[in-house]
Amino acid sequence: MKKVFSYLRSYKLSVSIALSLMVLELIVELVQPLLMAKIIDDGILQDDLSIIAVWGSVLLGLSLIAFAAGITNSFFAAHASQGVGHDLRRDLFHKVQEFTVKHFQTFSTPGLVTRMTNDVTQVQGLLFMLMRIALRAPLFIVGGIIMAFLVHPGLATYLLLSVPVLLLFLFWILTRGVVLFRNVQERHDRVNTVIRENLSGIRLIKGFNRGEYEERRFKKENQSLADQNKKALWMMEVAMPVVMLGMNIVIILILWIGAVQLNLQEAQAGELVAIINYATRILFTFSVFTFLIMNFSRGSASAARIASVLYEKTGPQHFENLSLQPIKGGVRFENVSYRYGDQSGEILKNLSFSTEENKTVGILGETGSGKTTLLNLITKLLEKSSGHIFIDGTEIDEIDDKYLRKQMSVVPQEAHLFSGSVKENIEWGKDEATTEEVIRAAKDAQIHDFIISLPDGYDTRLGQKGITFSGGQKQRLSIARALVRKPKILILDDSTSALDAHTEARLLQTLKEQACTVFIVAQKISSFREADQILLLHQGQLIGSGSHESLLQTSRYYQSVYKSQMEEDVI
Amino acid sequence: MAKSSPRRELTSQHPHRRHQGIGTKPPKVENVWSTLARIWTYIRTEKKLFLFVLIIVVISSVLSLLGPYLLGVAVDKIIADPITETLLQMVGLLLAVYFLHSVTSWLQNYWMIGISQNTVFSMRNHLFSHIQRLPLLFFQKRQHGELMSRLTNDMDNVSRTLNSAVIQFTTSILTIMGTIAIMIWLSPLLTLLTMTTVPVMYFGMKWITKRTGRYFKDQQKHLGEMNGYVEEIFSGHQIIKMYSQEKRVIDDFSKKNESLRNASYWAQTYSGFIPKLMNMLNNASFAIIVGAGGILALNGLISIGVIVTFTTYSRQFTRPLNDLANQYNMILSAVAGAERVFQIIDEAEENENDKDTEDIEQIKGDIVFDSVYFSYEDDQPILKNINFHAAKGETIALVGPTGAGKTTIISLLSRFYENDEGHIYIDGKDIKTITRESLRRQMGVVLQDSMLFHTTIRENIRYGRLDATDEEVEKVARAAHADDFIKRLPDGYDTILDSDGKGISHGQRQLLSIARAMLADPALLILDEATSSIDTVTEMKISAALQTLMQGCTSFVIAHRLNTIRNADQILVVSEGDIIEQGNHRELLKKKGFYADLVYTQTSEQYILKKC
Repeated sequence: MKKVFSYLRSYKLSVSIALSLMVLELIVELVQPLLMAKIIDDGILQDDLSIIAVWGSVLLGLSLIAFAAGITNSFFAAHASQGVGHDLRRDLFHKVQEFTVKHFQTFSTPGLVTRMTNDVTQVQGLLFMLMRIALRAPLFIVGGIIMAFLVHPGLATYLLLSVPVLLLFLFWILTRGVVLFRNVQERHDRVNTVIRENLSGIRLIKGFNRGEYEERRFKKENQSLADQNKKALWMMEVAMPVVMLGMNIVIILILWIGAVQLNLQEAQAGELVAIINYATRILFTFSVFTFLIMNFSRGSASAARIASVLYEKTGPQHFENLSLQPIKGGVRFENVSYRYGDQSGEILKNLSFSTEENKTVGILGETGSGKTTLLNLITKLLEKSSGHIFIDGTEIDEIDDKYLRKQMSVVPQEAHLFSGSVKENIEWGKDEATTEEVIRAAKDAQIHDFIISLPDGYDTRLGQKGITFSGGQKQRLSIARALVRKPKILILDDSTSALDAHTEARLLQTLKEQACTVFIVAQKISSFREADQILLLHQGQLIGSGSHESLLQTSRYYQSVYKSQMEEDVI
Repeated sequence: MAKSSPRRELTSQHPHRRHQGIGTKPPKVENVWSTLARIWTYIRTEKKLFLFVLIIVVISSVLSLLGPYLLGVAVDKIIADPITETLLQMVGLLLAVYFLHSVTSWLQNYWMIGISQNTVFSMRNHLFSHIQRLPLLFFQKRQHGELMSRLTNDMDNVSRTLNSAVIQFTTSILTIMGTIAIMIWLSPLLTLLTMTTVPVMYFGMKWITKRTGRYFKDQQKHLGEMNGYVEEIFSGHQIIKMYSQEKRVIDDFSKKNESLRNASYWAQTYSGFIPKLMNMLNNASFAIIVGAGGILALNGLISIGVIVTFTTYSRQFTRPLNDLANQYNMILSAVAGAERVFQIIDEAEENENDKDTEDIEQIKGDIVFDSVYFSYEDDQPILKNINFHAAKGETIALVGPTGAGKTTIISLLSRFYENDEGHIYIDGKDIKTITRESLRRQMGVVLQDSMLFHTTIRENIRYGRLDATDEEVEKVARAAHADDFIKRLPDGYDTILDSDGKGISHGQRQLLSIARAMLADPALLILDEATSSIDTVTEMKISAALQTLMQGCTSFVIAHRLNTIRNADQILVVSEGDIIEQGNHRELLKKKGFYADLVYTQTSEQYILKKC
C-alpha cells in the first residue's frame, strides 16, 4: 500500500484540493443539525419567523456550497486517481519489459495481465473513494461527537462512550471478514482454473472420456466456493444488524436521559433533537464504514500484488563503458556452465566450442538436453553461471545487451506473431525497413508467394497470435521477421519443424547465402545439410562436435540418430 | 488476387449463423422477464424459503419505518411533558421495534445468502456439465477468452446481484411507498414541499447517467483493448526483448494507456456526481423541511416532533430512490449476464440425436472408412470420398500438407464430428450406432499441443486411467522415456506443472502426454503430431515401447517427420481432403509420387553422404 500511495505525490495539488473540498462538505453537514437546533429553539419555540427565514436560507445556501464542493472534488479526485492508475500501468509495463524469462516463470503471463488491469482498476477505485468519502466516515463520526458536545456535553457523553465500542466490534467483524473474503477469492481462482483447463483441453477431455470426472472436479470446487461465499457473507451480515441495534439503544438512552434533563431544565428541546439527529447520522455513517473497509481490504490486496512486481529486482539495464562495436559473428564458449536458480542440477556443464563468422552451427540433442538454454546464453536472455563467452574475441559481459541483440535475430520454437498486418509483423525485425527489404525477407523465408495469394497481400491483418495462419506459415513469417534486419548472428530454435521437406530445403539454401553466423537447433539431420559444424548435446554436456562426416565416423550417438532417420532403401 | 485461402480459415471467419448475434447488447425488456423466469427455475427448489424471506423483508421494512415514527412521537411527548407515565411505555416499544428490526434484517440476509449461493451453485454446475456435452465444433467457433468470460464474469454478476438485489429492491420499494404514506398522513403539505426535490433528482440523474453510460462504455472498450494488447505483448516478451522493440511497445502502450485514462477520467468524474447530487438534495430537503416545517409549526399546523420525523424520513426516502436506480442497473446487467449464460445452455448437446446407439463392450480395432464425406459448411467440403480399411493391430499413418484434413479424419473416428455421407465402421458396426462414451473410453489420444493440467506430474499421467497405481504411473513414464527427466526435477513425480507448461520443455510435455495415453491402454491409439518436438532417437525408443505395450492396438499416427511413420502398415497421403496415395512405405516409394518425393528431400542429404 505504501508503494502505491507514494504515487499520489505527483498529484499533490489535486489530492490536497480534493481533500480540502471534502472537509468543506463535511463541515457543512456537521453544522446543519446545529442550525436546525437554532431554528427550533430560537425560531419556532420563540415564535420568531425572521430567524426561521434567515437560518433556513443559510441552511439552503450551505447545502449548495456543499454541492459545489462535492462536484469540484469529483474532478480533482478523478484526476489524481486516474493519474495514479495511469502511472502505475506505465511503470508496471516498463518493469515487465525489463523482466527476464525467470520473472515470467514466477509471475506467469495471466498473472501479470491481471495486475495491469484488474488490480490497477481496483486501486484506482479505492483511491477515488478515499479522496471523496473515506476520510469522511471517520471524520464525520469524530466531528459529529464534537458537535454534539458543543450542543450539550452531558448527553453527548453517551455518544462518546458507545461509538468506540461499536467501532471495535465492527473492526473485529471486518478483520475476520477480510480473511474469509481472501478464501473466497482463492476458491474463485480454483474454479476459474478448472474452467480454463476445460476450455483449452476440451478435445483431450472428450478424447479420454473424462467429462464426468471433470464435472465431479468442478462440482467439488464449485461447492467449496459457494460454502466459503456463504461463510464470508454471513459473517459480514451480522455486523450491520448488531451495530444498528447498539446505536438505536444509545438513541433511546439519550432520549430517556434527555427527558430527565429536560424536566430539570438542564437541556432544551432543540438540543435534544439535534443530538438525536447526530446519533442517527453517525448510525448511517457506520454502514458506509463497513462498505469502506471491505473495499479497502480488497484494494490493499491488489496494491500488494502490484507492489510485488514493482519491487522485483531486474538488474541494471544499461551499463556504461560497454562495447558498442559492430560484431562480425564469431562465437566462442569456454567452459560455460549454467544452473537454474538454486536448483542443484546443472543444465549446461563445461561447454566449450567456437565458430567463425558466417558459418552454420547445428545443435542436436535429446529432449531436455539444454539446446534452448545454450541459445539463450548467446542472446544474453540468460546469464551463464560460470565460464566465458566471447563474441569476436570480446567477452559477452562487456557488450551492451541491446546493442548485441540489434545485430542478432532469433526465431523461437513457438512462432509468436503480433496483431497487425503481415507487413508490420515483418517490420518488427527492422524499424525503418523499406518495402523492398520486407519483400526480400519474405522471399528468402519462402513465404512471399503465400502472402501475395492473400486477399490483401502484405496488408492482410493477423488475428491475435496469428490464429488464421497454419503452423508452418507462422514459422516462415517469423523467419522473415528475423531476416529483414540482416543479422550477424541468426538463431533458429527448432523453428523449421512444421515446414515440409521441400520448403525447408529451399529455406536452408537461402540462409546459406546470407552473410551471417547461423545457429540451428533441429531434430532432423536433414536440417543440418548446410551446417559447417554440428554440436551434440547430452544432458547438458557437449559429447561431440564436428562436421556431419566426421561425426558419422566418430560419434556413436550421432550414428544412432542418423540411423533412426536414415532410409536404407531410398529409391 | 486469388481469393482462395485454406478452408480452416474460412470456417473460422464465418461462424455458424446460429452463433451470430451474441454480443454485449443490453437486453430487451420482453427478454428480461423470460430470463428472470429462467433464473426462477433454479431458485424454485427453495421456493418456500424464498417466499418466507419475502415476508420477512416486508416485516423488516415496516419495522424500519416504524422506528423513526415512534421516535418522533416520543420526542413530541417529551417536549410537551418530559416525565410522563407513557414515556416508559414508549421507550419499551421503541426498544422492541429496534430489536425486531435488527433480528429480521439479519434473518432475511442470512436466508437469502443461502438461497442465492445455492442457486448460483446449481446454475454453474448446470452450465459446466452442459459445456462438457457440447460438440467440439462449438469450441472451435468461439474465442476461449469470450467463453471464459461468460463462465466467470457473467456468472459472478448473477451471483452478486442475487445476494443483495432481491432484498434491497423489495426493501427499497416498500420503504419508499411506506415513507410517502406516513409522510402524507403526518402532513400532506410538508410532504408536497419535500417532494419538490424529486423532479430535480430525476432530471439530474438522467443527465448524469446519460454521460456515465457513454463514458463507461468507452472505458470498457479501452480497457478491453489494453487487456488484449498487454496479453499479446507479455506472451511475446522474448521476441520483443530479442528484437529490442521495447521502445516501440512502450510507445504504443503509452497511447493506449493515455486514452484509457481519458475515458476513465470522465466516467469516474461523472459517476462521482451521483452521490453528491443525492447529498445536495438531502440537504435541500432537510432545509425545506426545517424552514417550511418551522413556519408551519409556528402556525400550529404541525408539531416539532413531526419535523424531527420528517428529517429522518426524507433521508429514508431519497436513499432508497438512489439505491433503486443502482439496483435497477445491477439487475439489468445481471440479466444480461444470465442471458449470455442461457445462450450457452441452449446450444444443442452432442448426444441429442443419439437414439439408436448402444454401448460397445470391447473394441477389437477393425476400422473401415467407406466413401466418407465431411464439411463444416454446406459448400466447403473438408473431406472428399475417404476410403480405407485398417485391420486390428495395424498402424495407419497420415501424411500431407497442413490443412489437408488429416486431423479431421481422426476427429470423425472419435465422433467429434459427424460425417455427412458414407459410413465409418468399427468391427463392422456403423459408428453412428455406438455411443460416444463407450467409443472414447477405448481410445487414447495424444495431441499436438500436449495440454497438461495444473497439478502434479503424477496426477497428469494418471489422467489416462484414474485408478492406476503409482507403480503403473511410473512404469508408463519409463516406457515413454519421461522417467529420466522427471527424476531430475527437484520434486520428481510430485512436481506441480504450470498450466502454460512453463518450466519443462515442449518435448518433455509431449513425453508426458504419451505416457498418459499409454496408461489408458486403449484399443485405438491416436497420435496427432505427438512427437514433433522429441528427438528421433528417443522417438524410436518410444515407438518400440508402444509396440510391445500396445500389442493388438490399432493406431493412427499423423506426423511431419517421415521417419516417424516409416514402419507403418499403411500410409495414407492426404491432400486437399482426398487420399491421393495409399500403401506401405516400400510400395509408395516405388510409386515415385508425392510421398516418394517427400522422402527423397528429407533424406537426400544422408543418402548422398552415404554414397560418398
